[in-house]
Amino acid sequence: MTHELDLEAVVRRFYASLYRFALSLTKNEAEAGDLTQQTFFILAQRSHQIRDTSKVKCWLFTTLRREFLRALRIQSSHPHVEFRSEIHDAPALSTDALRALDAKAVIDALGQVEPTYRTAVELFYLSELSYKEIAHSLDIPIGTVMSRLSRGKEQLKAILASAFSENSDKIIPLKKDEEAAH
Amino acid sequence: MKKPRTDITNESAKFVLNAYRPNGADAQDPVFRAALEQATRDPELAEWFKEQRSFDSLIVAKLAELQPPATLYSAILDGVANRSSARRFTMRPLLSLAAVLVLSAAILVPLLMERGSGSKMMEQYQRANLTMLDSTPVPKLDMVTADFSRTQQYLAEKKAPFLPFLPGELRDLPTAGCKTLHWNEQEFSLTCFRLPSGELLHLFVIDDKAFPSINVGDRFKEMNGWHFKCELISGMLVMFVSRAPMPEIEKFI
Repeated sequence: MTHELDLEAVVRRFYASLYRFALSLTKNEAEAGDLTQQTFFILAQRSHQIRDTSKVKCWLFTTLRREFLRALRIQSSHPHVEFRSEIHDAPALSTDALRALDAKAVIDALGQVEPTYRTAVELFYLSELSYKEIAHSLDIPIGTVMSRLSRGKEQLKAILASAFSENSDKIIPLKKDEEAAH
Repeated sequence: MKKPRTDITNESAKFVLNAYRPNGADAQDPVFRAALEQATRDPELAEWFKEQRSFDSLIVAKLAELQPPATLYSAILDGVANRSSARRFTMRPLLSLAAVLVLSAAILVPLLMERGSGSKMMEQYQRANLTMLDSTPVPKLDMVTADFSRTQQYLAEKKAPFLPFLPGELRDLPTAGCKTLHWNEQEFSLTCFRLPSGELLHLFVIDDKAFPSINVGDRFKEMNGWHFKCELISGMLVMFVSRAPMPEIEKFI
């Protein structure tokens, strides 16, 4: 059974999460907006070809990533962030410390996860796709998705802990004041 | 009967549970069953899983704080609406067939004739552009952006012809995007603008050296519902094309 795709409803439901995913890929707000628009433009062009409306979400994230990679090939220059091996030695991150970080710090940290693992982690957090959908989107086996999520999340924690410890210098005086007050 | 073994190590359980979404959408997925059962039995694993879910939920919440630009939603809907109206046109089979026949004849006949004067070449160029705009699927833009300067930057990088300065009031319009094309072994560019009515205004730019002689009129012509006009600007032959009503077009050109 096929259903007519309600494009406006699809845009309303997914545009914000798609934009965030685009932002994590491009690291640039204007490019993220353009990429999100481009993805919906393609959806509008091909909406009549989509038979299973339950797969629209996965299709959107897959298409956005594909368009991003296509644009990279066109531009043939893009910022490449190398994984910093020293982050493995970063201290563990507490929940309170994570709460203290802002959204930009989190997305920056995502951008520093090793490229091999990054996309699976981005899709996990930004699209909330299932591991099966991530496997389909990236065209990799389910076991590889789990492996990338496991390693990628480990790296993300280490990067966030490192970012927190770098910023914590600024709040040490406050902590000392608090201790003195007690 | 021997009960099937379901015990897994904590390390294996952690490996699997890393893929468990914080919103609980995977609760019924059998892949996680053994790992979840192990977490109910083993306090250390239970503590790890609790922290992991808390971490995942916080990351999702933090990322959700990033808000898209206020204009993005309406910009997407505009783009989708334009595409939908284009599709409605193509769904009229007889009209589409008639248009294809007329346009094919319009292109093929001049091409079959001996290559003639510059004005004939210009006609061919104009008809080729109109046919392309009518084609299905609509040709994809190389770059989709509302920022005119970005389209021109892209065209400059591609070494495609473009206008450094926009004529009329075009500079006030947002763009839909741009594209580079070839005609008669000559590269040219297309930049699309969004008119207030939602219709697009297409701007084709080609080096005037592509034509041995050029004869441009000062008035808009009409063909198959398209209004179009050519002008010579800074050594470029510029062709404006739109389906918008003439009063709206004339506000900007």
